[in-house]
Amino acid sequence: MPERSEGTERFHCPYCQKHQESFEALKNHVLTEHRMETVPEPEGLIRLTVNGEVRSIRVEAEWTLYQVIHDRLGLTGAKMFCDRGACGSCTVIMNGRAVLSCMTLAIECDGAIIKTVEGVAAEHPGLIEKYAEHHAMQCGYCTPGFVVTAKALLDKNENPSEREIREALAGNLCRCGTYPQHPIAVLDFVRQQKTAGSTDLGSENQEGKNR
Amino acid sequence: MNDEISRMQEMLDNLGADRYPEVAFKHIGKKGPRRVDGLHKASGQADYTMDVRLPGMLFLRFLTSPYPHAKILRMDTSRAEGLPGVRGILRYDDPGLPPAVDLAGHVPAAEIVLPEIVHFQGQECGAAVCADSEEVAEEALGLIDIEWEVRPFVLEAEEALKPEAPLANPEVFTWGNHYNEMLLGEAYTDIKKGDVVAGFAEADKIVEFRSQRRLHTWIGPERPCGVFRWNGDGVEVWVKQQRPHVAKRVIASWFGGIPMNKIQIHCLYQGASFGGWSQVNWNLGPMYCAAVLAKRTGRPVKWVFTRREDFFGGEMDEGAYYLKVGARKDGTITAVEGRAVLANQQWPVFHFLKHLVENTRIPNLYGKFLTVMVNKGPNVPTRCEQNANTHTQTLVFDHIANALNLDPTEVALKNDGAFGHDTVWLDQHKVDRGFPVRDSLKECIEKGKRAIDWDRKWHPPGTKKMPNGRLHGLAFTFAHEWDDSGGSSEMAIRLERNDGTASILGMGSDNGVDAENSYCLIAADELGMKLEDVHYNPRFDPGFFRMTPDSSTNMAVNGFAVRNAARILKRQILEAAVAPVAQTQRGSFPAFFPEAKAEDLDIKDSIIFLRKDPTKRVSLAELVGPSRSAGPMTDNENLGMRTPFSVPLFAYGYHVQDGTYHPEHIYTKFCRQAHFMEVEVDPETGEVIVTKVVNVNDVGKAINPMSCHGQQYGGTYMGVGRGLTEEVIYDPVTGVMLNGNLLDYKIAGMLDIDGPIDTLLVETGMGYGPYGVVGIGEDIGTVIPALLGPAVFNAIGVRVDDFPITPDKILKALGKG
Amino acid sequence: MKRFIHFNARSVEQAVSLLNRFQGRAEFIAGGTDLLGKMKDRILPRYPEAVINLKTIPGLDFIRSEAEGGVTIGALTRLEDIAAHPLIKEKFTALAQAAGRTASPHIREMGTLAGNLCQDIRCWYYRTPENRFPCLRKGGGRCYAIEGDNRYHSIFGGTVEEGCYAVHPSDTAPALTALQARIRTSKRVIAIDDFFEIGVTKTTALDFDEIVLEIFLPEPGEGCRSAFLKFALRKSIDFPIVNCAVAVTLKGWRIVQARICLNAVHVRPYRSIEAEEALLGKPLTDETAEMAGNLAVAGARPLKHNAYMVQISRAMVKRTLLSCTS
Repeated sequence: MPERSEGTERFHCPYCQKHQESFEALKNHVLTEHRMETVPEPEGLIRLTVNGEVRSIRVEAEWTLYQVIHDRLGLTGAKMFCDRGACGSCTVIMNGRAVLSCMTLAIECDGAIIKTVEGVAAEHPGLIEKYAEHHAMQCGYCTPGFVVTAKALLDKNENPSEREIREALAGNLCRCGTYPQHPIAVLDFVRQQKTAGSTDLGSENQEGKNR
Repeated sequence: MNDEISRMQEMLDNLGADRYPEVAFKHIGKKGPRRVDGLHKASGQADYTMDVRLPGMLFLRFLTSPYPHAKILRMDTSRAEGLPGVRGILRYDDPGLPPAVDLAGHVPAAEIVLPEIVHFQGQECGAAVCADSEEVAEEALGLIDIEWEVRPFVLEAEEALKPEAPLANPEVFTWGNHYNEMLLGEAYTDIKKGDVVAGFAEADKIVEFRSQRRLHTWIGPERPCGVFRWNGDGVEVWVKQQRPHVAKRVIASWFGGIPMNKIQIHCLYQGASFGGWSQVNWNLGPMYCAAVLAKRTGRPVKWVFTRREDFFGGEMDEGAYYLKVGARKDGTITAVEGRAVLANQQWPVFHFLKHLVENTRIPNLYGKFLTVMVNKGPNVPTRCEQNANTHTQTLVFDHIANALNLDPTEVALKNDGAFGHDTVWLDQHKVDRGFPVRDSLKECIEKGKRAIDWDRKWHPPGTKKMPNGRLHGLAFTFAHEWDDSGGSSEMAIRLERNDGTASILGMGSDNGVDAENSYCLIAADELGMKLEDVHYNPRFDPGFFRMTPDSSTNMAVNGFAVRNAARILKRQILEAAVAPVAQTQRGSFPAFFPEAKAEDLDIKDSIIFLRKDPTKRVSLAELVGPSRSAGPMTDNENLGMRTPFSVPLFAYGYHVQDGTYHPEHIYTKFCRQAHFMEVEVDPETGEVIVTKVVNVNDVGKAINPMSCHGQQYGGTYMGVGRGLTEEVIYDPVTGVMLNGNLLDYKIAGMLDIDGPIDTLLVETGMGYGPYGVVGIGEDIGTVIPALLGPAVFNAIGVRVDDFPITPDKILKALGKG
Repeated sequence: MKRFIHFNARSVEQAVSLLNRFQGRAEFIAGGTDLLGKMKDRILPRYPEAVINLKTIPGLDFIRSEAEGGVTIGALTRLEDIAAHPLIKEKFTALAQAAGRTASPHIREMGTLAGNLCQDIRCWYYRTPENRFPCLRKGGGRCYAIEGDNRYHSIFGGTVEEGCYAVHPSDTAPALTALQARIRTSKRVIAIDDFFEIGVTKTTALDFDEIVLEIFLPEPGEGCRSAFLKFALRKSIDFPIVNCAVAVTLKGWRIVQARICLNAVHVRPYRSIEAEEALLGKPLTDETAEMAGNLAVAGARPLKHNAYMVQISRAMVKRTLLSCTS
């Protein structure tokens, strides 16, 4: 795995090979020393906060965020279905927005705060329980994309109506046709959260505030 | 125990009602349990073959044809070989490739691994490149130079029948493009019953029409893919195949033979197949290439199709239908005559009039069924092979009911029956075969009519305009249930040491139908165990050949196998409880119930108890004892354990279910299904809005009702997409596919049904499966597309017998397009 | 995807200078949902050597109400933010509705307003992978849709000089047209009516090195209402088969100004001046709306497979007008 955690990495300048102490310092160095508008940035090194963990990852320019999350970080919950931004299966929450990781260049995500289905499941085991209880899945391949999209909705709107849930999930395709169960599962989860007294669904999302 | 085994054997090739004694259902039929795979899937932890990455793994991609019909004359791969990161290229002219080999099609047949002649644009051919990454492999494909002989092609079935049409496959179909009558003969192409001339002469009304079904396809969310790794003289294979047992058998025949016991199959969760790619004759072609290249490179090789590559091929109903129906004034159909010209069926054995034979009393039928090769991908069962039948049956009944000005539900009841016989005959058949005598169709129709408020809402076609300006349509159709293909299966159950939980064993293959839960429900009830003490892992091949959990036959075949295993195991458990434990040379331990016989005991909530004194009890955990390495006596003495190492508790069950695919075969089906749909059609835009659907399925007995409902609403969504928007579109000039992506090929999304789907079950117990079940997985997604025809007709009063029913066709029918 | 070099532009000037350095072999990227699809499918005759990210340019993601009236929207503003913005919803309803009906919820979180405006055509010949159809818009010799399957192509003829029948697929373009947007670029200000200029490899009047910076919408006059409707095969995800935006100003019961723009029916957004003029001085009723619908499609010249789009266009004009009254 190419990713390295912060602190263990020496930050090399790709132009003069000088080491820098941090990624920020390297950026600053390249900007001031190398007139970066005429040459590529020290690309390849991005820093992501994924499910609360900071990861520094060297990427190629053509890698999508999906490739980094799924193939490099091994977070295989994001699924490759359409590969063209038309199905929602690869959805992740990035900086508070539900985005398609297959249509996002990883190199453009430096500094991003990302939540994958693994993070959603860790944060809200109750939502996963409701999905299982209400059979809001069949083959399960597209399910994580629905779960992440539903979570992004709940971050914005902790008490959505059925219509709002349906509309939020309208960009997620499910070939098995499990659609009727998703609003049921999500509404049941919301109801359960309310009775449990936990009304701060949104504030649990400490990462996704920069909407 | 012998009783149980002989009872099991009596039921093989079952042609009657389940004759086992009933058990008390504690779990079966309850809505409660969550899915066994639910947490795994919703949390993103569930693993699919697409997700597999192994150390040192290489990626394999295929050259695809830019032309619909062409031959490779010369191919230069030297530039591709020189690309850094390319680790191997397999060419069509590689001396190591066999001329043809079994590649696991629906029908066993030898296929060319890497063809040099292509018959559809997009076909994998010529070369397979393996490289360090998919991107490098793809780039290498672009560096292959090919000289093609570009041949003439034909895309539409009826066009292909014309004498001037080019030959779509001149090397094989030398005589023309039609092939089923040449290969299989009249037994498969013709249905002749009674005398249609006489039948039409009796009719008060005759209608004739032509209908058309355009190509639509499966769309498995996980694309076709696989991984092949050699482990010394054995192999390890990851298959995305809904029939992993077929894949295993076929792989064993490769390379001069690989022993079955050295093939390790990993069949992880599968992003659904719906038949589809898993049944294409070439479906293990890519795996064969991966195997060759894995051997040559000494590394695991993974092949993955692109999304676009998964678009080639489709359902077997593509083509044109010419139908003629005659009936008396009261709705009794006297004759049906039909001719269908259908494209590219890889399995052309299923006649489009077969439903009218199997579930009606229509005495006079004549049908001619031609299959024709065109230069598009292979058409295989897609959700089900019976789309051509549901299409025919739905339109035949709806056309004639309307022509007679009759309520279509009454016309259905009037013609219910089987093999030309009426329901009296059918009821006698039920009695003869030991089934309860119930009127399944009537029950389904009555339930459905109430749910959709039929009597209040039904109106003649084109007569109801809504306040919002749209035209209201209401429609109904019906069919029998089909557990179509039968099959065979062996499964086993063992009690685990230490805690006495039960593991159900059978080759894994999860398609999302929640088969896992159904097995557990059956095993738990039959064994008297708590549901949470029973588990089935669908991602594991323990060697037992389990029938695929698809083709609707899961419960009717695997259900028997599990049930039989559970019955035998229960008997074993009770016998173990009354026999001395651990008879060794140093003595034995007394039985748990030394005074009792097995018949005196029962099991409830995973506890064995004496029937007449339930306070005398032993848990299954105590019975099986712990797993420890030391001998029985010492362990027992030193640790004070009650149970020493004792007899393993393990039992198998198996079943063979009779199939329906012999053309002469009479296999009377008693369960029926009825579906109702309400639509609004916008007469200014041609938009169809589905506002309510009612599915009523007689499932015989619902083992796992949530799973039944899942097939109903799921099939409804799939069916609405197939009926309204799904069409694989080819450029007529070049034969190139134009919409091989999920934006331009339109499967239904969340908002594409705007109203409730009522999923209703009828349980008559008249299925051939255990407890009287029938499978319904193939039913709804196959019936609903056709139902959109009558629904739109009832709204606009004009027929659009051309599917999918898109706005352009509706506006044209209304004189506005 | 094939390799390319990537730049995060820090300023408009830097982005332009980078683009110029690559002499047409570089592409700008914002939301990416259009460009990456083209790159994944390798549909362009020349794969870009470099991709220049505009999202890193500060100050282009905003919705600003202007003191002298009107609103300015930064080029990088996401469609979802526009659709949800209270001021846009209230005063520039057509745009909020158009942004809210574009593609899918996810794409709206990614796609930018300028990207939606500058997006490339969706013609399935143009978009078939591997540049399988080297059509007019790629500098090739012909339009494959004329002889082929043209069910989603132009009903108002092709471009005059080249004969391409691919429609303009944007949902926001007709809304911005109806609302008389002005587009400020790195070089100039362009009125929306002059913005769409179809040529080989281009859908806008922008120079190849010109970047949209912001879009200004003038304050609607008193009595002005706008609306947008979209017709597509599916309720989400899909591009339009026909969409329509209108802005109508009523004085009393009389229409004093009307702007009607269809899209996805022609190579560029299709304004019907005839229909607009015919409405002047008239009340907005079922009859006048229907008349406008009829006039809007009077010049239609459908191809073999797309006559139905004429009827849908007619209905969309009528309905969009009438939805201004509700």
